[in-house]
Amino acid sequence: MLSCRAYFVQEGFVVKQIEILLGLLLVVVLAACSEGEPEPAKDLRSAKNPFPSTYQIPESKPLLIRGATILTGAGDLLEDADVLIVEGVFDKVGTELSAPSNAVVIDAQDKWLTPGLIDVHSHMGVSSAPGTANHTDHNEMTNPVTAQVWAEHSIWPQDPQWEKALAGGITTVQILPGSGNLIGGRGVTLKNVPSTTVQGMKFPGAPYSLKMACGENPRRVYGGKGKLPSTRMGNMAGFRQAWSDAQEYQREWQRYEAKLEANDSSAEQPERNLKLETLVGVLEGEIRIHNHCYRADEMAQMIDMSKEFGYEIAAFHHAVEAYKVAPMLADNGVCAVMWADWWGFKQEAFDMVRENIALVDYAGACAIVHSDDGIQTQRLNQEVAKALSAANRMGLKIDRARAITWLTLNPARSLGLEETIGSIEEGKNADLVLWDSDPFSVYARTEKVWIDGALRYDREDSSVRPTSDFNLGIIAPEEDRP
Amino acid sequence: MKSLLTRKVLIAGLLSCFCANALADSLVIRDVKVHTMTSAGSLEGTDVLIDEGIVRAIGKNLSMSADREIDGKGKVLTPGVTSGLTKMGLVEISGIGQTSDASADNENFTAALEVVDSFNPHSTLIPHNRMHGVTRAVVAPAAKGSLFSGSVALVNLSGSVTESIEQRNLGVLVQFNEFAQSNSGGSRSAALASIRRSLKDATDYHQEKALYQRGEGRELSMSLDDLDALVPVVLGEQFLFANVSRSTDILNMLALAEQFNLKLIIVGAEEGWMVAEEIAQANVPVIIDPSNNLPVRFETLGARLDNAALLHAAGVTLMFTGMGWQNTHNAHLVTQVAGIAVSYGLPHEAALAALFLNPGIVFNLDGEGQVAEGRKADLVLWSNDPLELMREAELVMVNGEELPLVSRSTRLRDRYFAKLKADRDR
Repeated sequence: MLSCRAYFVQEGFVVKQIEILLGLLLVVVLAACSEGEPEPAKDLRSAKNPFPSTYQIPESKPLLIRGATILTGAGDLLEDADVLIVEGVFDKVGTELSAPSNAVVIDAQDKWLTPGLIDVHSHMGVSSAPGTANHTDHNEMTNPVTAQVWAEHSIWPQDPQWEKALAGGITTVQILPGSGNLIGGRGVTLKNVPSTTVQGMKFPGAPYSLKMACGENPRRVYGGKGKLPSTRMGNMAGFRQAWSDAQEYQREWQRYEAKLEANDSSAEQPERNLKLETLVGVLEGEIRIHNHCYRADEMAQMIDMSKEFGYEIAAFHHAVEAYKVAPMLADNGVCAVMWADWWGFKQEAFDMVRENIALVDYAGACAIVHSDDGIQTQRLNQEVAKALSAANRMGLKIDRARAITWLTLNPARSLGLEETIGSIEEGKNADLVLWDSDPFSVYARTEKVWIDGALRYDREDSSVRPTSDFNLGIIAPEEDRP
Repeated sequence: MKSLLTRKVLIAGLLSCFCANALADSLVIRDVKVHTMTSAGSLEGTDVLIDEGIVRAIGKNLSMSADREIDGKGKVLTPGVTSGLTKMGLVEISGIGQTSDASADNENFTAALEVVDSFNPHSTLIPHNRMHGVTRAVVAPAAKGSLFSGSVALVNLSGSVTESIEQRNLGVLVQFNEFAQSNSGGSRSAALASIRRSLKDATDYHQEKALYQRGEGRELSMSLDDLDALVPVVLGEQFLFANVSRSTDILNMLALAEQFNLKLIIVGAEEGWMVAEEIAQANVPVIIDPSNNLPVRFETLGARLDNAALLHAAGVTLMFTGMGWQNTHNAHLVTQVAGIAVSYGLPHEAALAALFLNPGIVFNLDGEGQVAEGRKADLVLWSNDPLELMREAELVMVNGEELPLVSRSTRLRDRYFAKLKADRDR
C-alpha cells in the first residue's frame, strides 16, 4: 500500500501543498483514492470503500514549539530543539526556528516531545466501557471464519475510553475484532478524535486489516461447540480451507473480468461473497494481516501458510514468544506486537520474558508495544520504559530514542502508514505529544496532544479536552464524569 | 548465593541447616538512601549492616566491616514491598482450571474456605515477583458462587514450604457489589440482607454454640463451618474484607461494620473519594488500585486517578494492589501504580507507606515494613526510586535471607539470548 499519504491529504487543506510537491502524477492517485461519497456496489471493484472517512482536519494556526527535548520516533533524540507545524504537517524540525507572524509559540524548556503514540491493538468502541453484555461487540463467534464482519460496524464513538487514551498521548488506534475466531474480521485504523460517527474518526486512506488468531482461543470456542476447530491442527485446517476458498473466488472473478475484457457475451458476474471478498483483498495485498499469535512454533506455521497462499503477514500480536524466533521474524519482515510484562493467563502466555521487546529489536525485527487494554493504552510510554529498563539490565544498551520507536514508527509500519505518521520528520502529519518531563518516568504526564496540527487535548484547558456523551451528568447532573 | 538445585538438596536434607547456612554471611551496604519507614524517615548517604539476617546497624560511615560490601551510591534501600491484594500462590495459569485454586463454587463451604490450604510456595509467580521486590502478599480468593469468598491470608515470598504462611486468617472476604447483586437474586438489598443475616447467625451461634452443635436452636443461614469462620469476624478479632466499589455501597458497609462492631477493610473503593471523610472517620483502611480510572462497571462510574490522593488527604490509610488484573502474575507492578498515584497528587511518602509500612500497621505485624536496628532483614536494594519504571531490584532479602534474582522467566531469557547472540555474531 504505497501512497497512503496521498490518500489522506486530499481530505484537508494540505491538498494544495501536496499537489505542488508531487505535480500531476498525484491527480491520478487522488482520483483513485477519493473518499468522497460512497458508491453503489455494482461489482467487487467498486465496493472497496463503501464507508468512507469523513474526518476533517480543523483549521489551526501555525505552531512553533521551542527548546524541547525531542524523541523523533525514528530513532533520534534532539536536545533543545524546535518544531514548526504549518497546515497540519511538520514543516521544520531544528534549532532557532523562526515563526510566521500568526503562529502560536510554546516554550517547551525542560519538556519533552514525542510523536503521537500509536496503539495497534485496541478494542475501544467494540468492547466499550462499561463492560456490560450490550457493549460486547467485538467477537462474532458464530462461525470460525467471519472475514465478512468489519470492526467499524461495531464501534461506539461514545465509548468513554477514547478520551482517556488521548490524554495518554494516543493519536492513532487500530481497532480489531476479538480473537475467538480463526479469522475474526476486518480491523480499522482511526484517529483518536471525538466524533458522533465512526466515519468521522476513520484515518483517511489507511489500509484495512484482517484479524486472525492462532492457538488457544478459536479451538476453545469452537471445540466447546463441538465444531472445528477443537485442536491446533483444526485451526490450521480451518485457515487453509478459507484461503483455498478465497483463491477459487479470486479465480472466478479473474475469469469473469477476462471475459469482460474480451467482450465475451457469456460473461456472467459471479455472486458476491463478502467473506471471500475480504480474503481476496488480503491475497491482492490491499488488506494487511494482523495475527494474534503467542507461540513461536505457531508463528512459524503461520508464515509457512502465508507463503503457501501468497499473502504477507504484517504483524503477530500478543507475541509473547517472539524472542524465540526473532531472526525468523526479521527475515520475513513480520512485526512482533508485544506487552512489556503480561503473562500467565493462558498456557500460551506462560513463557513471558521482560526482555521480549528488546530482544526482538536486538535481532533486527520490527518491535511494537501494544495495549489490548483500556488502562494500559493510557500509558504505553510506561510499558516502553519498563521494557527498556529490562533490556538495559541485561546489558543490551538501548537508548530512549531507539525504544520510543516501539510506540511510534514501528507501529506505523505495521499499519502501512510509515510514510504518514510515526515520527517527527518534515512533511509528516503533525501528530505530537508534549510531556511535562521525561516520558520514561512514571511521574511524567502529557500536557498537550495535537493530531494533524490541531490541539485535541490540553491538560490545563477543559474546553479542549473531549468528554464522551456518556459522561454528561451521569454522576451529578451538572457535571461531567471525571 | 545458592543455586536452586543446591537449595532443593538442602531442603530435602535438613531444612534448619539450610536456613542457618544462608544467614551466615554479613553484609554492609554503604552510602545508600534508606527509606526506613520509621520515625527516622528517609536517610541519605547511610550505611546499613546486616548480620545473621538481622539489621545490626544503620548510620553514616559505619566502622564495622562485613563479609561483603555493596556500594549503594545512588541506590535506594527499602523494606520489601507488600502486595495489598493478590491471588499469588493460588493460580499458576489462570486459564487452566487445574492450576487455579482462587475460587470455589461450593455450596457447602463459603466463608470456611481457607486460601492457605491452596497456597503453593513453589509457584513460578513467587520468584518472579520476589526478584522485582515483593516480599509479602495479602492473598485473597476470587468471587465465585457465594457472597463470602473465603479467608484472606498473609504470606511471605520466601518460597519456603514450611515458612511462607505468616497469618493464616487475617479475616474473611465478602462481596458487596454487582457480583453480589446478581448472586443474591438481583438486588443489593437482597445481598445486604443476606450478609446481615450471616453476621447475625454467627453472633447467635457463638453465644450458644453447644445448642446449635446439638442440632437445636433456630434455623441458620450458613453451615456451622462457615459460621465458625465468621465468629472471629463478628468478635472483632479478624477483619471483614469487603469488595465494594460504589460510594453508597461503601457507606452501607461502614454502617454494617458499626452495627456489628466489625473491623472492616474496604477493597476496591473506586468511588471511595466521594465518601473519603466517612471512611476516614470510621478508621477503615482501603486496598485500592490507583490506576483504575475507567467506568468498567456502572458501580465504578466515579473511578478516577486521584482517588488515592483524595482518600489520603482525608486521612484514610491506604494499601495498594495492581496493576489491574495483572495483580497476581505481576503483583510487583504495585510499585508502578503507586507511582501513578503520585503523579496524580499522592505525596511520595504516602505512596511508600502504602507499599511498605501500612500493611504491617493494619495487620499488627510487629515491625514488618520497616528498616530498623534489631529487625529481621526484609529488604530490597533498588537501583533508584522504587516507584520509577527505569529501575531494577538489585538485592532482595526475605526474612533475613538473600534470595537469587532468578525466575523461570530469566532462565528462558538467558537460554534464548545465547542463541540470538550467536545468531547475530555469526
